[in-house]
Amino acid sequence: MRTHGLRSLTLGVAACLLAAALTAQTRAFDKYVALGDSLTAGFESGCLVERNQVNSYPAVLARTFGITDFQQPLVEEIALTSPLVGNPCLGAVFLPPSTITVGPVSQMGPPLNAALPRPYDNLGMPGANVADLTELTHGDVNGSSIERIAALVLRNVTGSPFDGTSAVQQADILLAGSTGSKLVSLWIGNNDVLGAATSGIVIDGVTLTTAADFTASYQAILDALFPGVSVIRANIPDVTAIPFATTIPPVLVDPSTRQPVLIGGLPVPLLGEGDDSFPCTPVAPDQGCPLPTGTLVTLPASAILAQGTGIPVAAGGNGLPLPHGHLMDPGILVPGVTLYPDEVALLQQRTDEYNAAIAAATGGGVLVDIHSFFNDVRANGFSVGGITLTTSFLTGGVFSYDGVHPSSTGYMIVADRFVQALNEANGTDIPRPNFASILFTPNVPSPGLVPAGDGGIWGYGLETWRSVLSSTLPESVSFVLRSPLPTSRPHRSTRRVVRASGG
Amino acid sequence: MRQQHGVPLRRVVLCLTVVGLLVSAPASPSGFQVMTQGARATGMGLAFAGVADDPSAIFFNPAGMGFQEHFSLMVGGSALGRSKADFSGANPYPGVGVSESVEKQVFIIPNLYAVVPLTPELNFGLGINAPYGLGLRWNDPEHFSGRFTSQNAVIKTADINPVFSYKLFPELSVAAGADLRFSKVQLERNSNLGIVDPFGGQVEDLAHVKLDSNLTGNSGWGWNVGILFKPVPNVGVGAAYRSSIKVHYDGTAVFTQRFTGNPVVDALVTSRLPQGEHAVATTIEFPASLNTGIGVEFGSGFLLALEADWTQWSKFASLNIVFPDGVAPELDRATNWKNTWAYRAGLEKKFGNWAVRVGYYFDNSPQPENDVGPILADNDRNGYTAGFGYNTPQWGVDLGGVYVRFKDRSVLTESTDNFFGQYSERAWVGSANLRISF
Repeated sequence: MRTHGLRSLTLGVAACLLAAALTAQTRAFDKYVALGDSLTAGFESGCLVERNQVNSYPAVLARTFGITDFQQPLVEEIALTSPLVGNPCLGAVFLPPSTITVGPVSQMGPPLNAALPRPYDNLGMPGANVADLTELTHGDVNGSSIERIAALVLRNVTGSPFDGTSAVQQADILLAGSTGSKLVSLWIGNNDVLGAATSGIVIDGVTLTTAADFTASYQAILDALFPGVSVIRANIPDVTAIPFATTIPPVLVDPSTRQPVLIGGLPVPLLGEGDDSFPCTPVAPDQGCPLPTGTLVTLPASAILAQGTGIPVAAGGNGLPLPHGHLMDPGILVPGVTLYPDEVALLQQRTDEYNAAIAAATGGGVLVDIHSFFNDVRANGFSVGGITLTTSFLTGGVFSYDGVHPSSTGYMIVADRFVQALNEANGTDIPRPNFASILFTPNVPSPGLVPAGDGGIWGYGLETWRSVLSSTLPESVSFVLRSPLPTSRPHRSTRRVVRASGG
Repeated sequence: MRQQHGVPLRRVVLCLTVVGLLVSAPASPSGFQVMTQGARATGMGLAFAGVADDPSAIFFNPAGMGFQEHFSLMVGGSALGRSKADFSGANPYPGVGVSESVEKQVFIIPNLYAVVPLTPELNFGLGINAPYGLGLRWNDPEHFSGRFTSQNAVIKTADINPVFSYKLFPELSVAAGADLRFSKVQLERNSNLGIVDPFGGQVEDLAHVKLDSNLTGNSGWGWNVGILFKPVPNVGVGAAYRSSIKVHYDGTAVFTQRFTGNPVVDALVTSRLPQGEHAVATTIEFPASLNTGIGVEFGSGFLLALEADWTQWSKFASLNIVFPDGVAPELDRATNWKNTWAYRAGLEKKFGNWAVRVGYYFDNSPQPENDVGPILADNDRNGYTAGFGYNTPQWGVDLGGVYVRFKDRSVLTESTDNFFGQYSERAWVGSANLRISF
């Protein structure tokens, strides 16, 4: 009897071990929940739609882990309407005979997965900053941009069982209710600095979260996480190095050759409004001042430059300055298209401060240094099988059509970095994602393309910009977007108020 | 003087042309070395440094000439081919489920050896052969998943090796010679030119790049020495050393646009692509090698040969391709090969004028895992050899063959080309030589 019992016990233990071993072979993690912002959501080319959400880095990771029930707040992609009913998705449009322009090709439609009776596994919220993950507990489909995002991703609207829960709380619900090995990814903080770059308004405490606030909010997320789960985190890339900020040089370019125009052997600086560190005293007939070396001109300047603004009269322009973003009235932000060297330096310094806080945070598991990785890709490109991709706008392959968010290939590169970081840290052998299909498959919407046509020589229009702004700027303020055709100074006479519209 | 030089030189050029048209080899010996330079040695596991008793001694150990008393001429060659050369992909690229294969080319490598006794002690020898070669052409090159790294890689060589041997004592011979190596390299691949299609973000084949150089225009010098000690007539102990040889190549690069049909993309590519023929240059340093062996004749016609060969593959540390006129960025690839040892054993049994031979060798790969890729995928291999011959003092015929079993080579963690998967290869060699002695 005793022997028999012992044998049964031994067999039982062996069976359990075998079962555990088999499970471990098929699944790297049994449960995976992703926390973050637009980068985590799979936001791409100005919108969040199923076509790209299925390629979000959390979705790629879940497939790599062997998880089949990874749920995301999928959004249907629908054809363009007039007027638009959702955020437009951007694409490249061919304008005969030989022009590429970036404009809306489809738009966000209704959610596809809203009836899921549990929280989504991908809780990435486009537009969310570090504080939103713990503090945004109520969404509203008719509210501000971030409230509408919360209504989509967290469904914490009035009357919903999820009302009153934050993203971190929803993650904890999922983790508490699951068994086996659990992983949470956290990539947050991009919007705490990105909005300042995309709007061209760098104002500490308004468009830029202070380092102290960031540190406190970031640690609060980790402290609120369900105890005992594995965590993988990523830090913040250099937002001044995205194609949105690096594509257009601060000097006059020949539209046909894309090479700098030389007058007297020297390049011709574009004109700007100046800022506190670079005050401007225009010299007639120009009404703006030459941009100092090191100024970044953002992609929306493409359409403005095409009208002659920002180009000296002597070089054939209208002598008006490229707009510089600033805070005008209480709560009114006037976006601009220039980032002066002092602003660039502040954005980079602040990013470094965030990253120091991220590195120093306690209870954080594996840290992926996306900041360094992105700098390396920017300097050397990304090589796979002899194919080289770069961070160039439109032709580089790593970034999407908004110039801010990665492409689906770019997101797979991120997922690959996460897998490698997990394997390096834990000595595991989680398979890396398979790039073969995504590299060679065109990523275009099924609805027909509709030319946009306000894009300038880099093809980047003001409508495109507005779409990007709505997803990267905090909602606490209204936006005043200068007319694309400023005809005279004072420029503040022609403007329209844009409510950021979801996404 | 000029006329005396003129005639042999013309013959040499003729020989070179023949060799050059044919020379090239699969990677059946380790790295891209080709050791099957004599049919008798081929049958005996390539263990010949301590035997070296026919004119192919000029390759295996030139000191062996010192014990050869007659004018002899030996011609022949080897045929090399792959019976299997497959690749199965792994993530991240080209991905699980991808299968590729290498074209099963057959390469013919001729050789010629002449031994000319000048005095009873001093012999002159001339060898023409191709001790290094590589040919790796992938099937379906326009769809091969590694086409952005290599579709076809070729290294050809043709050596002219004049050498003198001197018999210091009846038991001891030494030799020294010069080695002029002509070589060509060729590399073909497709390129995405660092850009994707702006209308869908997908990677496309936007250009074909062919880098080529001709055989007779690129050469380098080296030297070789050998020693063979026969304390008693039936025992030989030998060693042969060949210096490294550096060949600098000047060639041409031709970029051919692949049109996508989209006028914007095609115009963009046209504006970026260097048109026409451009200069390209590279350097390969071929390794030094040291072959050490013994040969022992037992009674009843048995000959046992053992050998250990060292190859200084660390000389092949990098592959640097430059475009002097700046049409394309320099390619600088750290290859980081390692020095290797190969171990060989061979047995011959004579039946009067007939002989049968068997042999075995184990050859270590010099190539580190991260360098293994579509250009060259090498691995440790076992060679099983057999052969037979008919020899009289006046003439002889030898035939030999090798079956090469490679270990499968997996590239799963690090890859210079970021091209992951497993390579499986089998190869064979057949050698034949005819000798006439006067």
